[in-house]
This record gives sequence, structure tokens and C-alpha cells, in this order.
Amino acid sequence: MATELEVLETIRSIARTELEMERTISPGDDLLRDLALDSLGLTVLAVGLENRFRVKLSEDDAAGVQTVGDLARHVAARTEEAR
Amino acid sequence: MRPARLHGGPQPPPRHASLNQALEQAAASGRRGLTFVAADESETTLGWDALRARAARVAGALASLGVRPGERVALVLPTGPEFMDAFFGTLLAGAVPVPLYPPVRLGRLPEYHASTARMLRLSGAVVLLSDGRVGRLLGEAVRLAGPRLGLRSVASVRESGAAPLAHPAEPGALALVQFSSGSTVDPKPVALSHRGVLAQTDALRMLMPADTPEDPQLGVSWLPLYHDMGLIGCLLSAVTYPGPLVLIGPEAFLGRPALWLRALSRHGGTMSVAPSFGFAVCARRIRDEEMEGVDLSRWRLALNGAEQVSVPAASRFSERFARWGFRPAALMPVYGLAEAALAVTFSPPRSPLRTVPVDPVELAREGRVRPGGRILASVGSPLPGTAVEVRDERGAVVPEGVVGRIHARGPSMMEGYLGQPEATRAVLDDGWLDTGDLGFVHAGELVVCGRVKDVVVLRGANHSPQEFEDALDGVRGVRTGCAVALGFVPAAGDGEELLLLVETTPEATADLVDRIRAAVAERTGVRPHTVELLLPGTLPRTSSGKLRRSEALRRWTTGTLHPPAPVNAVRLMGAMLRSALALARARAQPEVET
Repeated sequence: MATELEVLETIRSIARTELEMERTISPGDDLLRDLALDSLGLTVLAVGLENRFRVKLSEDDAAGVQTVGDLARHVAARTEEAR
Repeated sequence: MRPARLHGGPQPPPRHASLNQALEQAAASGRRGLTFVAADESETTLGWDALRARAARVAGALASLGVRPGERVALVLPTGPEFMDAFFGTLLAGAVPVPLYPPVRLGRLPEYHASTARMLRLSGAVVLLSDGRVGRLLGEAVRLAGPRLGLRSVASVRESGAAPLAHPAEPGALALVQFSSGSTVDPKPVALSHRGVLAQTDALRMLMPADTPEDPQLGVSWLPLYHDMGLIGCLLSAVTYPGPLVLIGPEAFLGRPALWLRALSRHGGTMSVAPSFGFAVCARRIRDEEMEGVDLSRWRLALNGAEQVSVPAASRFSERFARWGFRPAALMPVYGLAEAALAVTFSPPRSPLRTVPVDPVELAREGRVRPGGRILASVGSPLPGTAVEVRDERGAVVPEGVVGRIHARGPSMMEGYLGQPEATRAVLDDGWLDTGDLGFVHAGELVVCGRVKDVVVLRGANHSPQEFEDALDGVRGVRTGCAVALGFVPAAGDGEELLLLVETTPEATADLVDRIRAAVAERTGVRPHTVELLLPGTLPRTSSGKLRRSEALRRWTTGTLHPPAPVNAVRLMGAMLRSALALARARAQPEVET
């Protein structure tokens, strides 16, 4: 299983290397408003997290996920379930 | 000057009467069929014969469900065997597949429901086929649109136990419906006949290298199957060729772009196509370690299309991957649109990228080609059987080197927009399709340089500008209804980007640009590249007050987008004086040639 912190670090690393973002990323950042991720960016992020943590993020996961922190919590909970 | 008129030579004779017949022949050919590559590079294969057998079972089940020949069947499925079951099953039932795009992970769903419902209604789909995973998200769209036979999973249909069916199809019958734009505002269902689709794949086949035992041809694609380039250019080309095709899901590619080049190497791929941004993504995101042992030297046709080709991005790709055997001459810009089934022009195979340096300001201001700093790519000459003309606003063919609207005629043009005769008449006249794109003929080849139709093409996907303009509603400081969204290609960029020209109110604050970016990204999922704030009244309008988008772009490009001069007594006097002087001078002098 992964902790929220590990997921957060992975999100930061994907943002830096795959999405070429230079800004610092904090848990309170809104995925769409603050990081301005478009559908391509969201897909890259989702696929990156899936590959790293061996979970499956479905489209309806978006319902409760608005911020980086929400996403980290969500993925961490998923790895817990997958165990 | 020669008129800007091009012809691709004779159309090859048709090889099949319908896609259904092409599938029968592929199944009987013994040729290798489809290979699906998963994100972890594990592979599944599906031979043409097995694909046909599965499709016939789905066809029988669809018929017993009550799907009648000629009716539309919508599909929302990821790239995989079940897409094939649904697509070819629908065809073998004599019905018409309508592939629609699936929802984006972590994306917002309400907009997706609305646009999917709209496309279901416009296409008149009687049923929506999906899989268990995506299907859970389609209930709302199905509830809104109410197709007669509801939502079904492909697995449940395939395993229903109905007797297999393989309905033949007439050449003139509707073969498929594809949407020209996926937006909520203005999606248009493009209706294509069997004859039209096959004319396209037959013409493409003539441009492909010959398939021999010493030099076997193989295609690789990560393009979505709900768009013409992936569906017709790759999948249906492979069926009619017939030949092997390796498919990667678009999401898997975006997650790890190296999957594409690695699959090309592993399978000895000779043909593959992508929009400009796909090449840019590879040059930027693939790491050297991921390329270990990769050999791209068999890759003969690297087609680059679906959006304006970025020459810098194409060059970066060529330079970056030359080390792994990529041949720069493989990169071939192509041009097409959904309304033409797919391609209109093709670059000559195995020749270096042909570019034209133009002065962008001169091009936008005068519509003439003069050498300058902006490098445009030639998209080649028309496909066999296709003719192209560049025309002015009055419909007259312009000379070479002059910008005009690109018109195309050929056997693969759409039948029309399904159920929209008025919209059809607006673009199809006497067999000629008004593409809505701007271009010019240079050295016997077409160069695309802009667009008059109101479409923004981002990463190969078409968007209606209204989608972005509507997203500005309620943003404080934006003048309501006084903004235009446009596509433009930044000088050193990877391809087309979103430009917003926005008139402001006195409530505009210093952070307005950021707030506009955030609102647009949140509501549309697209990040604007440039946001330009304007004083009220700056955007050009028609006499009835409608915004003129392409004129706004022309003025922005030429640096002539200025706010209206305030009218006051002194200015008015000055203007009157100047015109009186001009009049006097004109009378005093004979006419001077300028």
C-alpha cells in the first residue's frame, strides 16, 4: 500500500517530468483551476498514477476528486483496497 | 499565373462493393489481423477470420434485439476486441456504426453526458453499445437521449446465443457516421457511404508501399477509433488492404509515448500516422533508456495530419530519433477532414519535408505568399481521384501563390450531414466540398495556412469556438458575449493552440488573464495558450453585430486589432479636413497606378 505522501510525491514527479510543470504543487491545488490540467494532462496524470501504484482509476472517480490532496487520498485508499 | 487547381489523377477501380464484403475477403485471406498492445506491452491478437466470426454473432444478436438495416448503432468503447465486435457486428447487421468518444479519466462528467446525449440524438442511434466499465457512466446520456433499445454491453449482446448473421450492404448505403467535432455546441454527424469510405481506402492503398514477402507492410496506430484518422486511415485501411495492424489505446500512448515507437520497432512497422502533437510529445517525453534496442529504420510512412503541421515539432522529432534509425524522409504531412472521409492531399512518399517560408503578416494582410520567417509545410497533392481548388470569396479560382478557401471534390466526400440538409448545402455544392480551410498552391502542391470555418483544432480534435467563449460567462471583467476563441499556430510551438481575444469591462482586475485561463480550463478541459485583453468595441463585427472570428484573427496576426478611435469634435474635424484635402488632390492629379 502507498501513503498519501508517497502519492503526492508521485504526482509532483509526474507534473515535473511528464507534464513539464515548473510550479510547486501543494495538496490544496485544484487540478483544473490551479494546475489547469486539460484532458490530455489529466490522462497523463491518471495513467502515471495507475502504472506506479497498480490501481485502476475510473472516470467516475472524478466525482470526489477536485484537488491534488483529494487525488492523493483517493489513490492511497485504492491501493489499500487492492491489497 | 497558373490557376490554383490540382488533380490527383485517376481513381483506382473499386476493389469491394462494401465494407462487409471487404471484411469477408480479409477473413478468407489468411492474412494476419489485429494485435492489441496493452500499457504493460502485453499483446493480444485477433485474426480477421476470428474477428469476422465474433462480429457475425453480434450482428445476429443485434438483429434479434430489433436493430433494423440502415439504423444507427452508437458505440462508446476503448480500443480493443470489443470495439471490433460492436463496429463490425453493426455493419454485418446491415446497420450503421456511430463511434463516439469515451469519457476522460478524472474529467468532469456533466459536459460529457450532455455532448454524448446530443450526438446520440443527432445520429438517431437506436441503441448504445459499451462495456461494463464505461457503460456505468453512460446511463445519464442514455436517459437524456432515450435511444429505442437503450444501453447494452457488447459482451451481453455477443453471448446472447443468437444465430450469426452477415448481411450484405449496397455500395451506396450509409456505412458509418462520424462526428466532425465532439463539442457540446455544434457536433455535426458526417454521413459516409460504403462507396465513399472504400474510395478513400483504395486511394490510400495506392500511396502505400507494395506488400511483398521480402518487404511485408505493417501498420501501427495509437489513434482513437472514434475519429477518421484512426478508424478509416488505420483500421478500415487494414481491413481492405488486407494486412496486419497493431493497435495501442490512445490513453496508453499518452501515459507512455514510448509504447508507440517500441511497438513500431518490435513489429517492424512500416506505416503509422499521428497528429503533429503526437510527434512533439515523443520528442519531449520519451527518455533514451526507453529507446534501448529500438530500431525505426523500417518505418517508411510517418504520416503527420489532423491538425496544422508544426515544422519545428516535426524537425525536433526527426533529429531526436535519427539515432534509432528514423528516416526524416518518412515524415509526410497530409491534409484532410471528416467531411472528405479522411485525406484530401498526401505528400509524395520518401521525399524530404517540403517547406515554404512565408511572411505571416503579409500572408494574413494581403493573402499573398512572400518569403519570410514563418515556415509552413506543404501537404502535397490530391489523392488519386480527388481534385482541389483554391477559391476567393466569390467562388473564382485564385492564381497559385494566393490564399483562398480550399475546395475539394472526389469519390470519398460525405453524403452530407445526417438529417441536416441546410448545413450540408452550406458546404457541399455540385460535388465540391468547401473545407472551410485556407491555403494556397505553391510549386504544384497545397499548403494549408489557416481557417475560415469556426473550428479550433487542438491535438487533432475539433472544438467549436463557442465551447470556449461560453466558458467565459460570468467571469467578472469580461464583456458578456464579446470574446472570440480561435486556433493559431505559435511560431515555435508543437501545433495549433487556443487563442482568446476578450473584450473587458471596467471591472477587469490585474489577475483577469489568470481567472480566464482557470475558467476555461475548468469548464472545457483545454488550457488557453494566449489570452489577449481588449478594450470594448475592438473585435470586428458584422453589420448585424455578430463577431467575425476569422477577421479578428487576421487583424490580431497583422497587429491591426485596434480599439475604435473615440469620436470627438476635434477628431471629426480632422477627418473631414483630410477627406476634403484628398478629394482636392485627386481632382488635381491624374490617376496614379499604385
